[in-house]
Amino acid sequence: MLIPAFTQGNQMDRNRKLMLSILTMLVLTSVIAIVDISINMQYKRPSGISVSGPRIGPGVGIVRVEGAIEMLSSGGAFGMRQGAEAIIDRLNEMEESSSIKAVVVRINSPGGTVAATQEIYQKLWRLRKKNIPLVASLGDVAASGGYYVASACNYIMANFGTITGSIGVIALSPNLKKLFEKLGIGMNVIKSGRYKDILSSFRDMSPEERELIQQMIDSSYRKFLKDVALGRNQNESDIAPIADGRVMSGDVALKYKIIDGLGTFEDAVDKARQMGNLPADSPVYDEAKSSLQQLLFSMQGLFGARNLYRYPAVDYENNYRVEYRWEP
Amino acid sequence: MILSEIRSMRWTDFFLHTLLDPRALYRMISRNEPRCFLLSFTVPAAVAVIDIITLSLLGRETSFFYYKVTYGWILVFLAVSLKIIIAAALMDTASQFFGFKGNMRELIILVNFSLFPDAFILPLVYIFKIFRFAPIFFFILFNMGLSVWSALIAVQGISEMHGAGIGKSVMIYLFPVLLVGTILSLIVILLVICGVGYLTG
Repeated sequence: MLIPAFTQGNQMDRNRKLMLSILTMLVLTSVIAIVDISINMQYKRPSGISVSGPRIGPGVGIVRVEGAIEMLSSGGAFGMRQGAEAIIDRLNEMEESSSIKAVVVRINSPGGTVAATQEIYQKLWRLRKKNIPLVASLGDVAASGGYYVASACNYIMANFGTITGSIGVIALSPNLKKLFEKLGIGMNVIKSGRYKDILSSFRDMSPEERELIQQMIDSSYRKFLKDVALGRNQNESDIAPIADGRVMSGDVALKYKIIDGLGTFEDAVDKARQMGNLPADSPVYDEAKSSLQQLLFSMQGLFGARNLYRYPAVDYENNYRVEYRWEP
Repeated sequence: MILSEIRSMRWTDFFLHTLLDPRALYRMISRNEPRCFLLSFTVPAAVAVIDIITLSLLGRETSFFYYKVTYGWILVFLAVSLKIIIAAALMDTASQFFGFKGNMRELIILVNFSLFPDAFILPLVYIFKIFRFAPIFFFILFNMGLSVWSALIAVQGISEMHGAGIGKSVMIYLFPVLLVGTILSLIVILLVICGVGYLTG
């Protein structure tokens, strides 16, 4: 078959451009790989404090609960799961692994949504019932939901300056009615029931609505209190006096017996080894992410669409959020 | 002159034909239009860099990596180039043994371009490295696969060069390997004999 010359030329140009793209892709991959290796080297530089031994044999597993606790099952970079579901996945791995004889739950979180927090708590509780020793290591902040998660562990260790406590439940909704009136903006609401737009930002809250929300808060609070008491092997009445939402430092928390000891992450790992009857040099199985993953996760944190319209006190994304969360 | 050649993008045809039509690649090499001898050496150079990066990506790296990636690749490139020249010379000898006309220059270019698939080892392995899914296993697997692909390119190129059948082309391509293998075996046997003689003596 005869093909017109100009068609052949176009085809050739297309092929050349395609080839050029492939070559560019190879160059870009090489550059990204060099950056990846460089970042990896920075992360793995010997720091003098090493909790990771050779990864063979029985040891201590590390689970990290960092930032606000949310379910967030949607994929992050490369479709990887984050949030409570990712933490539970990690705990599942540890439950199934014959190498994990004790777990350190490193918590650096002001808490988060009720359901996500309860899911992590329940998962930890399941591990605890299987006689896998759990040690919570509290970082900067382990307040509210962060503490709720910690209370599922056999032993809680905090730093002297850790902010913890804040046992309570909170629901926030901004009232923008006056602002909207000032701007001359009205909202048309067509609803199937009188409470369908409960916690709406465009009008005042009615006493009945307040009562309904309060009931939900109280119910979540009772569950919080019950679970903390269960985890701590204490009576609810012992916890209740300090379960008024107050935050406290590590030393005060120790005084009120809501933690078991003061110490660093290293101390928590040692405690886990001791509770798991492991030798002092047993390996530590920490979460290992490639540096490229970390870079992409951090980029997602910076540019993720949900962060662009997020203000700490006013979350327009979900007005129905009831949280175990410390909101300073 | 060189800039206008680069802008014309005709040089990309060599890479395109390497992947899609090795016989057309040889026809381009034989026309020497555009000139391709030096261009062909960009392939072993790139493969040297990519090999170093890939191996570094799979291992635990120290700051020595920067030396490897800036200077080390030159050494690897020189070693690979020497290997290519020796292999091409031996293939040329084998061709003449089969009664074909010697053409070492074109053989060097052909073998250089035939290494191009090896450059894909990095993106292929990188995917498995990111997902931490048996990267070493896939490195070995892809390396074997890409080596076979390289061999197929060279064999088809040799077949087009001499108008020879695939069987003879394979023999020509494998001649350096067989020869070096035989020599190494003989050396090992001689060393064993010498060792045994030394020990019994």
